[in-house]
Amino acid sequence: MSRMSDRIFGLVVILVALAYIAGALQIQTSFLSDPVGSKTFPVIVASIAVLCGGIMIFRPDAEPDWPEMRTVLSLAVSVVLLVAYSYALKPLGFILPTAIAAGILSYQISPRPAYAAIAGIGLSVGLFALFKMILGLGLVAFPKGLLG
Amino acid sequence: MKARFLKALATSAVLGLGATTAATSAECIAPANPGGGWDFTCRQIGKILFDIGQVDAPVQVTNMAGAGGGLAFSTVVNERNDDAELIVAASSATTTRLAQNAYGGATADQVRFVGAIGADPGVIVVAADSPLQNLGDMVEAIKADPGSVAFAGGSAVGGFDHMKPLQVLLAAGFTDITKVKYIGVDGGADAITQTVGGFTQAMTGDMSEIVGFLKSGEVRALAVLTEERVPGFEDIPTAREQGFDVVAVNWRGLYVPGGISDDAFNAWAAKLQAVADSDEWKQAMADNGLAPFTKVGGDFQNWIDGVIAQTQDLSRQLGVIQ
Amino acid sequence: MDILANLQLGFSIAFSPWTLMLAVVGCFIGTIVGALPGLGPSNGVAIMIPLTFSMGLDATASLVLLTAIYYGAMYGGRISSILLNIPGDEPALMTTLDGYPMAKAGRAGDALVISGVASFVGAFLATIGLMLLAPLLSRIAYQFGPAEYFALYVLAFSTLGGISSNNQAKAAIASCFGLMIAMIGLDPNSGMPRLTGGNLHLMDGVDFLVAIVGLFAVSEVFFFIESHGKSGALGITLGKVTIPWAEIWTTRWTMLRSSFLGFIAGVLPGAGASLGSFMTYMMEKGIAGEKGGFGTGVAKGVAAPEAGNNAAAGGALVPMLTLGVPGSGTTAVLLAVLMTLNITPGPTLFSDRPDVVWGLIASLLIANFVLLAMNVPMVKVFVRILQVPPALLMPAVTMISFVGIYSLTGSYFDLILVVAFGVLGYVLRKMDVPTVPVIMGILLGNQMEKQLRDAMVLSEGDWTYLFSSGISVGLIIAAVLGFLAPMFLRRYMTKPQAISD
Repeated sequence: MSRMSDRIFGLVVILVALAYIAGALQIQTSFLSDPVGSKTFPVIVASIAVLCGGIMIFRPDAEPDWPEMRTVLSLAVSVVLLVAYSYALKPLGFILPTAIAAGILSYQISPRPAYAAIAGIGLSVGLFALFKMILGLGLVAFPKGLLG
Repeated sequence: MKARFLKALATSAVLGLGATTAATSAECIAPANPGGGWDFTCRQIGKILFDIGQVDAPVQVTNMAGAGGGLAFSTVVNERNDDAELIVAASSATTTRLAQNAYGGATADQVRFVGAIGADPGVIVVAADSPLQNLGDMVEAIKADPGSVAFAGGSAVGGFDHMKPLQVLLAAGFTDITKVKYIGVDGGADAITQTVGGFTQAMTGDMSEIVGFLKSGEVRALAVLTEERVPGFEDIPTAREQGFDVVAVNWRGLYVPGGISDDAFNAWAAKLQAVADSDEWKQAMADNGLAPFTKVGGDFQNWIDGVIAQTQDLSRQLGVIQ
Repeated sequence: MDILANLQLGFSIAFSPWTLMLAVVGCFIGTIVGALPGLGPSNGVAIMIPLTFSMGLDATASLVLLTAIYYGAMYGGRISSILLNIPGDEPALMTTLDGYPMAKAGRAGDALVISGVASFVGAFLATIGLMLLAPLLSRIAYQFGPAEYFALYVLAFSTLGGISSNNQAKAAIASCFGLMIAMIGLDPNSGMPRLTGGNLHLMDGVDFLVAIVGLFAVSEVFFFIESHGKSGALGITLGKVTIPWAEIWTTRWTMLRSSFLGFIAGVLPGAGASLGSFMTYMMEKGIAGEKGGFGTGVAKGVAAPEAGNNAAAGGALVPMLTLGVPGSGTTAVLLAVLMTLNITPGPTLFSDRPDVVWGLIASLLIANFVLLAMNVPMVKVFVRILQVPPALLMPAVTMISFVGIYSLTGSYFDLILVVAFGVLGYVLRKMDVPTVPVIMGILLGNQMEKQLRDAMVLSEGDWTYLFSSGISVGLIIAAVLGFLAPMFLRRYMTKPQAISD
């Protein structure tokens, strides 16, 4: 089926906006309140989004050029990787997670293992030097336990 | 801009390493970004303390912005409660927020207020072509129709600027204060712009915010909310002499951690008094539109307690707190 | 004269050795960022903002550095357009039309020099225009109350869509997303949390820097993963670079006309640099006629869009500084910079913070000369940087983005949000939904709502107050027209695609 993407997207927009309106109607108000209040503007904006979602369902554009399944998987891997990186940065320090994350990303863009490994390590050490020494950011290189 | 309490809290944890290295010299925390009133307080007082020999090493100024001063407050209470080498810049905004429970449950008695050594007098101004000639006119107009005079000020609804005209109205026996229109805009200059443009009928703010506009003749001050007329602005009558007993000044001062000894507290009070008496500070006040306002030590703590009680009472009437 | 006195103030701020150094560094970084394929001024500045703040620079210094990067990226964008046929960002698209044919004909050096000079002329004249026009606009401050500001924001959102997307519904959805995200956090009036789902991390709202880095930088990385970085290799070699004086002279009127038109396009809220380069190219093509040979690699075809887009970039600063309404994606990012520095642009900025405004203008002038000096004789240096393979470049961009955000907020939650915005940005861009309105919504949403609520406080809930002055009615009418016009004009003005071999 052609033009399905816009229709699905429009539907998602409507569902999100309806959920948002439901959330907005739950907003607690203090008894000091102005004529408009906390709920009105969010509800107006979400209503416009519902309307536009409807337009997308009824007047969809041409199908975008979606990547093939393997690429989608590869993208999913990179998303998981970046989320893991976000969690790892604090407990594990800068160098190790950055080397791994940068290396895998590099491999995903251009699948050459040796190049990716060097790029990962090089970037992590190089950027650490840049951030720590030159820009003076308070980064931690390794988890504290390692240094005793 | 909105304060970024949690983010800033975490940032300070990351970047805080640098701040704690120089443990020997006194430290002054400015609970805001560089450039504001709190930053000014720290930098001026810190500099003068060293210049007049009250401290041995230059006072180190740390900016700790977040939650309108709440981040610095909770850091002091939770982590540095007995640090006798720490002072923190404070002003009316600090006590207003404490009174309104805007610091996440923190209360004013968790720290000790050392003193104020200068103040930005509260003012109520109207556009130059306004029919309101004095504070009495304004009060009568609002009594006749509470919606007829809308105020603009630099603080949020329920903030210090909002309270100023309400205190005048309460002093005049008008109690229906929730009917009075107030919009909080982004700073005193914006508030004046709205008033000169005719969108609001009066502006409530600090003296330093209106000096330029007074000189250019765009606005007229109805009243200054001090005990005496302000030096340099003798033609502006006080609210008190117009029959409304209201004093509201944005004081500039310091608090210290609650856990320090009485001796340490008194030592800071004496040092602050020395700064207040110095010529350097008088010059700094003149340069920045501050009026003399010196209260230190136990006196100041009592005065603060009174101000907080009053603010809480007003906030309850207004519905800002329950 | 006022302007001269003000300019003197500006130069007294901008001419310290420290700020001069920052300007040079910023121009250099900016040109590199602009020259790299896939990175334009918006993502370039977006990546650099958090780092700048982490370094603890003061307001003027950060502003000088970031605007130098901004202007540098505008200059640099032409390098990859001409050599690789890959525009660094949308405004540079039109430069590929004649720049790449010139490069294929062995005249890459000439194309780079001519476009560099055209960029300089456009940016320089626009800065002069900014100096003359902005103070005039700022005098209308007294005419703007809450109702007028609300109307102005409506105008900004409705006109933005017409330029940034081919489908008004999609542009509107993007604006709504931004506004919906902006509402998350503490209610400005009641101080109560709303729409946070009880999540403490969301109490202070979603930081616009997080959104910018996610939507612009991380989504770009996903696109590179998808294409496996196929745009890496440098196809064109650059010989000796000489300055073709005679040819530059023949383009003088093209440059002047294009600068003027580009500046006007930039001043219109919501139009921005893309429209500037598009309109100027079309105008010059029309003037030259069939014999002009536009599209086959002629000097005027390079000069027109470059003068136009750089002039538009300068023009876009006018509404951004005087009204607080950004005219393009990059000025939206610059608005974010100012707001992070606690400077709220608007009609009172010129009277409140003349140091910021005139320091900025002076540093723009300085940056222009630095960039001209850098981009004409030193262009070979930047060409070499283009050879950095994406497999190294994109991981570096990702890591710099993450560290920038992390060092600013120190929160893993914000990093997760960055990834989420990256995914959102990828999907939106795939669906041809523009991302700039999302940023604008996050940036302006709270102000827009506040102005509406203030207006209703003043009018005691009477909605007709929103249409009670000539200015607000005029702005609303302009907003409706600006929203509807592209639907009809699109038939006649479809955007040309980049040519392919």
